[in-house]
Amino acid sequence: MKYNAAEVGEIEIGTCKIVNIDGRSIGIYYDGENYHAIRNVCPHEQAELCKGHFSGTTLTSKPHEYIYGMEGEILVCPWHGWEFNVKTGESLVDPDRYRVKVYDVSVEEDRIVVHI
Amino acid sequence: MEVTEVKIAEPKIKMKRSIIDVDIHNYTPLDEIKRYLPRAYRDQIDLWGWRLPGSLYLNGGVKVGQMTDSTPPGGGFPGSDLQFMREQLLDRYQIDYGVLTGSDYSCQASPDLDYAAAVSSAINEYTLEHWLAKESRLKGSVFIPKQDPLQSAKEIHRVGSHPDMVQVIVSSGAEKPYGHRYYHPIYEACVEHNLPFTIHVLMEGVGINGPNTGAGYVSYYPEYRASRPMVMAAHLASFIYEGVFEKFPTLKVVLQEAGVFWIAPYLWKMDEDWKALRFQTPWVKKKPSEYFRSNVRVSSQPLEPTPNPETFNQMMNSVYANETLMFCSDYPHWDFDSPLRAFPKLEDSLWEKIFYQNAADLYSLPARGAGKEGAR
Ligand code: FES
Repeated sequence: MKYNAAEVGEIEIGTCKIVNIDGRSIGIYYDGENYHAIRNVCPHEQAELCKGHFSGTTLTSKPHEYIYGMEGEILVCPWHGWEFNVKTGESLVDPDRYRVKVYDVSVEEDRIVVHI
Repeated sequence: MEVTEVKIAEPKIKMKRSIIDVDIHNYTPLDEIKRYLPRAYRDQIDLWGWRLPGSLYLNGGVKVGQMTDSTPPGGGFPGSDLQFMREQLLDRYQIDYGVLTGSDYSCQASPDLDYAAAVSSAINEYTLEHWLAKESRLKGSVFIPKQDPLQSAKEIHRVGSHPDMVQVIVSSGAEKPYGHRYYHPIYEACVEHNLPFTIHVLMEGVGINGPNTGAGYVSYYPEYRASRPMVMAAHLASFIYEGVFEKFPTLKVVLQEAGVFWIAPYLWKMDEDWKALRFQTPWVKKKPSEYFRSNVRVSSQPLEPTPNPETFNQMMNSVYANETLMFCSDYPHWDFDSPLRAFPKLEDSLWEKIFYQNAADLYSLPARGAGKEGAR
């Protein structure tokens, strides 16, 4: 099913709009190129994940080396700071066990449409 | 195309009963505290700054160690707005009573004893006036200059009998383990005012306090968190082997925020060693675990998840959770434990002890539903 979640232009780059679709709270995030829809519930203690912070992060590296990357792809939970890939919903530490549902998004006639 | 109504979704919160939360960090901003200091210190601060030692490590979370969504809607620091705290925490999770634990323990790492005493008193005055006078569900902690036990006792005598002050609080970072006789004037005063002595993690390795591990300073914040149980463990053993609970049998000590389940093997070890080494401290008349059960309480956050429910239940039994454990959230810090999610499902009577009764007994708080409390 397709749901109209927002208008194009309504969501600024690097920010997210939280909508309620059919009883599910979902965040629509705009990275400047694409929109991403991700469930607004953290699999850890159920904080409202999309009220967290979008950023990049330090990538896996050698001891005492910092490599910054994934700019704009990381959603950091507002409570305990678990990091999720906003594109896949996977947590960085344990992607198989902690994964947030993500939904397909398309842009149709200037509307941002979420597919559920 | 189906168009749905777009609105902000609030998660549903379903508490089974009301609770007590024994660790809530109200913000105690230095500019507010300053107004309660004597003129001489206010002038010094204007000229020279606060000269209080700060943290050595990065914290967690995004906003200086706080939950990102705890910033009040009108701005300001997390934990600074009473009305928002009511909405986001007290009302939402049906908290009948919450114990405030402040936000700044730096004066407890200062080498200037009189200044530490003045700042402690100022924090207490600020908390009484700006928090406890306005919300009867909230109870307070007496800050003391623990590096000066005689002045600490004086402060306990000064504010400790206020009906809204329910405990004395110190940082886990200390110059000596807390069982040492140096500190006993504090316990005499605690006992006189029927106030538990709460040790909250913080200030280990900072200022005049000892390093954060016996092996020296660690490099990173997660490593520092891992070292907290070591410091707390030293305090716990010190209370037992220095005979504090023989000297002050009614004293209650609360261990706050160093974790919970490390205590189990530590008690086993102390009990075993006591059998062979009892003669060295003959005033320790009972097994260490018995003193733990009678005189020590532990607050839950940050509770360690276990690999499976069987291990969880075993660990809970091994720390005598039924008698000793009290729920706390640590709001609004980033490692907040949700009252609904931090624990797996508990048997009802155990839930009742942890989420209400153990704290009600310790802090002499009314039974659930006794008298409507709230904004004053
Ligand atoms: S609730 Fe999201 S990290 Fe804990």
